Amino acid sequence: MDRELGPAGRDELSGSPARSVTDRLRGAVERNALALGTLGTVAVLVVTFYHPVGTVLLEAVVDGGRLTLGPLLAVLADPFYTGVASGLFAEPLAVPGGILAWLGQVSLSPFAVPSASLGLIGFTAYQAALSTVASVALGLPGAYLLSRFEFRGRRTIRSLTILPFVLPSIMVAVGFLAMFGANGVFNDVLRVFGLGPFRLLFTLEIVILAHAFYNAPLVTRLVTAAWESVDASGVETARAMGASPRRAFRDVVVPQLLPALLTAALLAFVFTFMTFPIVLALGGLRLATLEVWLYARVRDLALAEAAAIGTIETVVTLSLTYLYLRYEARTAGTTDRGRPLTRRPLFDGVRSLADPVRLALLGYGAVVVVVFVGPLLSMVVESVTTPSGAFTTAYWQFLVDQQTAATAGTVQPLQAVVRSLLFGAGTLLLAVPMGVVVSVLSVRGGRGSRAVEAVLTAPLAVSGVVVGLGLLQTLVFGTVLFGQRIVLTGAVAVVAAHAVSAYPFVTRNVAPALGGLDPRVVDAARSLGASRVRTLLDVELPLVATSVLAGAAFAFAISVGEFDATVILAEGVDSATMPVALERYIGNRSIGPSLGPATAMGTVLLAVTAVSFFAIDRLGGRYER
Amino acid sequence: MTDQPSVAVELEDVSVRYGELAALDSVSLSVEPGEFFTLVGPSGCGKTTTLRVLAGLETPTAGSVRVDGVDVTDRPPEARNVGIVFQSYALFSHMSVRENVGYGLRFRDPPDGRSPAERVAYLLELVDLGGMGDRDPTELSGGQRQRVALARALAPGPDLLLLDEPLSALDARLRERLRVTVRRIQQDLGTTTVYVTHDQAEALAVSDRVAVVNDGRVEQVARPETVYREPASRFVAEFVGDNNLFEADVVGGDVARLVDAPDVTVPLPTEHPAGERVTLSVRPESLRLGGGDVTLDVRVENSEFLGEAYRLHCEWVGRELLVRAPERASGDIEVGFDREAVHVL
Repeated sequence: MDRELGPAGRDELSGSPARSVTDRLRGAVERNALALGTLGTVAVLVVTFYHPVGTVLLEAVVDGGRLTLGPLLAVLADPFYTGVASGLFAEPLAVPGGILAWLGQVSLSPFAVPSASLGLIGFTAYQAALSTVASVALGLPGAYLLSRFEFRGRRTIRSLTILPFVLPSIMVAVGFLAMFGANGVFNDVLRVFGLGPFRLLFTLEIVILAHAFYNAPLVTRLVTAAWESVDASGVETARAMGASPRRAFRDVVVPQLLPALLTAALLAFVFTFMTFPIVLALGGLRLATLEVWLYARVRDLALAEAAAIGTIETVVTLSLTYLYLRYEARTAGTTDRGRPLTRRPLFDGVRSLADPVRLALLGYGAVVVVVFVGPLLSMVVESVTTPSGAFTTAYWQFLVDQQTAATAGTVQPLQAVVRSLLFGAGTLLLAVPMGVVVSVLSVRGGRGSRAVEAVLTAPLAVSGVVVGLGLLQTLVFGTVLFGQRIVLTGAVAVVAAHAVSAYPFVTRNVAPALGGLDPRVVDAARSLGASRVRTLLDVELPLVATSVLAGAAFAFAISVGEFDATVILAEGVDSATMPVALERYIGNRSIGPSLGPATAMGTVLLAVTAVSFFAIDRLGGRYER
Repeated sequence: MTDQPSVAVELEDVSVRYGELAALDSVSLSVEPGEFFTLVGPSGCGKTTTLRVLAGLETPTAGSVRVDGVDVTDRPPEARNVGIVFQSYALFSHMSVRENVGYGLRFRDPPDGRSPAERVAYLLELVDLGGMGDRDPTELSGGQRQRVALARALAPGPDLLLLDEPLSALDARLRERLRVTVRRIQQDLGTTTVYVTHDQAEALAVSDRVAVVNDGRVEQVARPETVYREPASRFVAEFVGDNNLFEADVVGGDVARLVDAPDVTVPLPTEHPAGERVTLSVRPESLRLGGGDVTLDVRVENSEFLGEAYRLHCEWVGRELLVRAPERASGDIEVGFDREAVHVL
């Protein structure tokens, strides 16, 4: 009996003084490691997110130490921003007449830009709404195709719908330039048939198409997931009770798809409301959205006005994201799947040609190829062809040739590539531990863990330009925080900004995996003598290793593709990343006679993000939520 | 053995409350060294909460927990030296069987002077998994996994072994075989053990003592035979085994009149004051076909064949009586029982 209890067990119980001081110290560190990690995460967030963003927001409402609505009202009452609604803030009594006038102007063709009547904010919402509609229209047939039909490559295409999360938007813009530009592939093909050329760039249509490129896969992905989790026996029960196939679809399937569709639409609206590089590159200032104009004001150093714009934008996006989270929380918890609906083969011999549904889907496939494959392929093709169509390696030569690039005021391409990869690695070092800590808190934090998660995931909902602006005004210019003067150099600020926008993706991957573990596994490890942190390191993290790696791949891809905050922080040519270099190459055609350098750089960016994509896909990253 | 305390584990007035809800309501229990002590009750009764309090996985809102006389109420699980086995096995699927069993030895020395490797090998032998050390837990059957979990819990030589419905995920036959194995190993090692189950038959079969738990309170703590034959409350009488309960009014001394059938008098094994309302329990196996000290006219509605006997579901004055009989029966029959079969609650 006593022999069984053993000396070690006795020591544990009586806290014998035989335990060395270092053991005790290690024990103390282990006991408090989670608290330390939380403190560290909160500190990083305060320094690189809440304080900078708070500074921007404060600047909009505080003037000389006094609370004022001046700057906000100045923006809201300016017809340039709010269009006819400006009367609401400038002359509230004249509103009723104004509304009538406004109604008269909106009911024009949907593509006629009514910026005069809507104002900048109205236009931003208007293009976001159009983009959302376009994304749903382009994405929904894809969900139908992927969830109801079986064909070769279905699984590959299904995993490809994750791409928009990792494709840098500035690169997508370059792809669209290469595809739809005056000398682009699209016009080249039309010319063969004696058509065109069409001038597509700098139109609202092309901006919306690019937004659809980005957000339609999101719609497809979320709705496909919902459709695949529809229990076939529900439909069969309805049919057995006398419902026609159409009626069963309406009564049983549609209600289960609607939440996913609304979620996707809401996200698409938030994303396109905050849109930046795509409009910057494809629309220009004539089609400027809030974010683009905000960027322009920052470059003109009109920081107070920029702060007011940023505040209005943040209020809108945070409210929408709050709605989204509320909605998601309400629809969550339908995880137990029944038997999924069976898929029909897409190709069913000659008869498929007579089936209108299948023909329509084939037509849809053609559209998908033009919209999705076209831009990326065009970019790669344009990187090795001259405007006249001849093969050239000049653009790639430009990338590796430091001498040519050393012209004053241009970004050295090779350095931008190296810098992007280094920033990506730095982001991993910061974002992965932060993401893991937040995951642990949200899964096992007990009461208030939802609130913790909300506070710690807010960065997702604030635009990169606002974060960048805040970082610029606080850390880069120098700030006094906790009695210490803190100045971050550009590179550190960039990594910090990247980590803040990347770690929610780590959390999104790790938290569900941790939550899916049997909590008894943790209990077992602890009863065997492992502290909370040892349990995390020995048991929980190894069990969810693939999710951690997938989250890391996401974080890396987000960092490599991040543009919004980087372009603000990387004002000098010596801190530009690949996406920033891309934008400079698009804007400064003097480097080369064509889009060439940008397409070559874009191809490199595509290769890096493709590697991240395959890593994520292999590791089973989550993006449904 | 004089220096050995007579109480290994003690709960004193332990309560666990979640807001208004009391999962445990002032529970006091003491477990003797080397004892196999079982908590049994319906789901949600608080037996698992009691176990989690013992393990340190749940902190009581009130009361204290002592192990070998030392107050451990506020100690985290890793500072308690308890072994715990769950229904879901909770094996570390990224570790081999050997690494699983050896995990606790990273934090505590083996209790018997063996090296950690020898201790692991010894325990794998003990649970009959000698050749399985290099396997992944996922390659094992449910019964094998549960034996790995048992070996893992025992490896550091715990002061207290806690078993939380360890057999409930297994099929009936395996469950019965494994519970004998668990009992044999527990007796070999002499480890004080607290076992949680909702299966009253299992509780009666393996335990030194049983605590019947209901609604956050302990109804009875006693040897299995006592719990079965002399249930302390109506709940225990109904929860443990099949039973027939009768309300009766004592008419004087050792005779009572059944409330449902006032013309039937029952001789009681003990004296009670006249006029007292008592509840009598008579086990189905104490009822027999034909007459006795008390004879009841019943109608057989159904006979279930159980293998070694039949369970007759009988209708008597509008309620059900259970009778264990050696043969099938049907229609209107007489069943009877004797004074010795009557237990007064």
